[in-house]
Amino acid sequence: MTTSRRRGDLTSPPIEQELRLPALQVRQGPNRILYSFAVDGKELPRFATVSRIRRDTDAGIQGYQRPEVLSHITSIRKYLESEDPMIPNAIVIAFDKRVLFEPSGPADAYACPGTLVIPIDDQGADADKPGWVVDGQQRCAAIREARVESFPICVTAFITESDAEQRSQFILVNSTKPLPKGLIYELLPSTVGALPVALQVRRFPATLLEHLNYDSDSPLQSLIQTPTTPEGVIKDNSILRMLENSLSDGALYPYRYAGTGEGDVDSMLAMIKDFWTAVRDTFPSAWALPPRRSRLMHGVGIIGMGYLMDAIGDRYAHIRTPTVDDFRYELDEIADVCEWTSGTWRFAPDHHRKWNDLQNTPGDIRLLSNYILGEYRVQTMGRRVRRQQRA
Amino acid sequence: MKFFFPDSQDQIDPSFDFISEERSIYRVRQRDDHYAHEALRASPFDGLLVSKAIVDGLPGAAGKYTAPQRQRLYRVGVRDFFRLDERHDRRLETMGDCGAFTYVRDDVPPYTADEVVDFYEGCGFDLGISIDHVILGYDKTADTDASHPHRDGWQQRQQITLELAAEFRSRARARKARFTPVGVAQGWSPTSYAASVSALQKIGYSRVAMGGMVPLKTPDILACLEAVNVVRKSSTQLHLLGISRCENVEAFAANGVTSFDSTSAFRQSFKDDHDNYYALDRNYSALRVPQVDGNPKLKARIRAGQVSQAQAIKLERQCLQAVRRYDTGTVTIETVLELLREYDQLCDGRKDRTASYQQTLEAQLWRDCQCGLCESAGIEIALFRGSERNKRRGFHNLHVFRQRLARELEGTAA
Repeated sequence: MTTSRRRGDLTSPPIEQELRLPALQVRQGPNRILYSFAVDGKELPRFATVSRIRRDTDAGIQGYQRPEVLSHITSIRKYLESEDPMIPNAIVIAFDKRVLFEPSGPADAYACPGTLVIPIDDQGADADKPGWVVDGQQRCAAIREARVESFPICVTAFITESDAEQRSQFILVNSTKPLPKGLIYELLPSTVGALPVALQVRRFPATLLEHLNYDSDSPLQSLIQTPTTPEGVIKDNSILRMLENSLSDGALYPYRYAGTGEGDVDSMLAMIKDFWTAVRDTFPSAWALPPRRSRLMHGVGIIGMGYLMDAIGDRYAHIRTPTVDDFRYELDEIADVCEWTSGTWRFAPDHHRKWNDLQNTPGDIRLLSNYILGEYRVQTMGRRVRRQQRA
Repeated sequence: MKFFFPDSQDQIDPSFDFISEERSIYRVRQRDDHYAHEALRASPFDGLLVSKAIVDGLPGAAGKYTAPQRQRLYRVGVRDFFRLDERHDRRLETMGDCGAFTYVRDDVPPYTADEVVDFYEGCGFDLGISIDHVILGYDKTADTDASHPHRDGWQQRQQITLELAAEFRSRARARKARFTPVGVAQGWSPTSYAASVSALQKIGYSRVAMGGMVPLKTPDILACLEAVNVVRKSSTQLHLLGISRCENVEAFAANGVTSFDSTSAFRQSFKDDHDNYYALDRNYSALRVPQVDGNPKLKARIRAGQVSQAQAIKLERQCLQAVRRYDTGTVTIETVLELLREYDQLCDGRKDRTASYQQTLEAQLWRDCQCGLCESAGIEIALFRGSERNKRRGFHNLHVFRQRLARELEGTAA
């Protein structure tokens, strides 16, 4: 057994300090005993430490934890500093045999209340602490760093002297499959409060997507594929990218509220719905087909057309927000060169691509976008925007 | 003498907080950020040089622009995209080029004349540089020695550059392009550069950019300019691509150079080992306090279990705190230097920078500097750490470079 830790010697004088915590002993099987308790996360470093992976002098493996991931910790820390945070999942700690459990009540079939007694030596080295963090090192670090007075956290503990057993538990708790992104995006709009930054900034685009997919006046109604709308033909991610592109650099940007990451939802939705209504009217035979039969419903088409919405929006910006009619009128300029469902894209005299040879890659998206926008620029060069036809 | 700054999407985020090292989570890159001409009290340059390769990328070399940014640049044009007209003290010019160094290893340039005219016209540049192919090498024996190993390759590149210059100019004229075309001279010797300039003048260029001179020693550049001067029409203006060398600006001007571009003042702030913080009369060393999470070498050693992450974080924080306290006068210079050295040992430890750090700390450049960033960043600008501090210092260096240039030019006038 490889263990770098000095064992508690039962014959040595009693340790001066100990932490006594109300705990529940849970018997999971004849040889498996767990302890469940709560402790202020700020106290954790006093009795538990992290076993970092390294090689000893004989090239033997030691420890198992990776270093702290500072960006991940920052993200949890910010959450902890937000209003009313909650961390429901427990930290997992492996204790050595210096930790004792004193039962205080009757045990039922598997649970028994009592007190967990943890020796504390604040002068001791990290390696001499009785506990090792098996799962939750980033959460522990975030609580340690957070500018909060205290943060009680649930702990599940087991007692073992074996590094090998800790290591297999470490692998077990850390090898689960992450949630599918689509499920997260679908849940985002109906969340409240702080989320990790990367998700927080996606919440608003996800909200727009939800409207586009479920509003009865949306041309994209039920067309966006999400976990609960499996019959949709457009990938949720394509729509999100189209929206995010426009929010940062396109026609939706003026409607964005800089400070909150949100924006004027009604104005934004009006523009997006009008544009895609015009797209549907302009290309009826390419509409609502699966991407393998129509490149318009493919990431390459959705994102490319998104840029066109931005270009049209920009052209009209100084007069008005383009209407469905305006968008139809402008889309007519490029309708002839689009080969969504058959034929060949003529990107340049010596560069032709079969309609379905375009893939959802950055290169192909760029090729198609540049082509559509280039054609649009050429067609509209020197022409003023269309006058309002109806009052 | 006009100074153009080559854009590489270098901006600072005004929402960045030095103490928490956090920024607004809703910040939109580029739009909420500030360029040097926005962040500094006065624009440090007369114009921007924007290269097609940086905007569009090339196979195997990603551009610096995101796809949405690129589309917006094409839609709104270079003046709006860079918010150049929001500075009212003077009009900043714009020059487009192809970024020849990005395809220097290819046999032929990857762009056609029409594509490049499209780019310049689409973005609305004032000046557009023709497509060139850099000659990497300088050896005048190639002029006469027919067995010179590079002679054929160099001649071929010069020929390609001249042919493209002719095609570029005629395409721009045929399409009634609004930008002023600029031809590029490539060469390997004074004679060959002079031949290029002469040929470009025959094509009809009255503005010529001198290319491929970045690796040349100053006397070689001057020798080329002098040779060019013999054939140069008095109305032909020269631009030096990628050359600053402030101290020679007088000699450059005497040979018909009216503009140049360079990133070196900016890039030195985070590329140079010591000369990375400019004062008018000398350069200082910025104080290295790398982010534990941002230094690849340190990260690898932590991952391998050779360095304690906790120890590294502790030292990093102590350094930051000590530097700030030194600035408020509550910590001695010795304490700061000792901590910086200890942390440096942990991160790198190859050399002791204590002596140069002492000079930086004693000089306290940030206190009196009028650039517009030193006042708001304080001693943070002197830290070699992360892009927000390094780029602020880079902008400061541009400001100082501008002053140095003005001083040299005053010398010329007097």
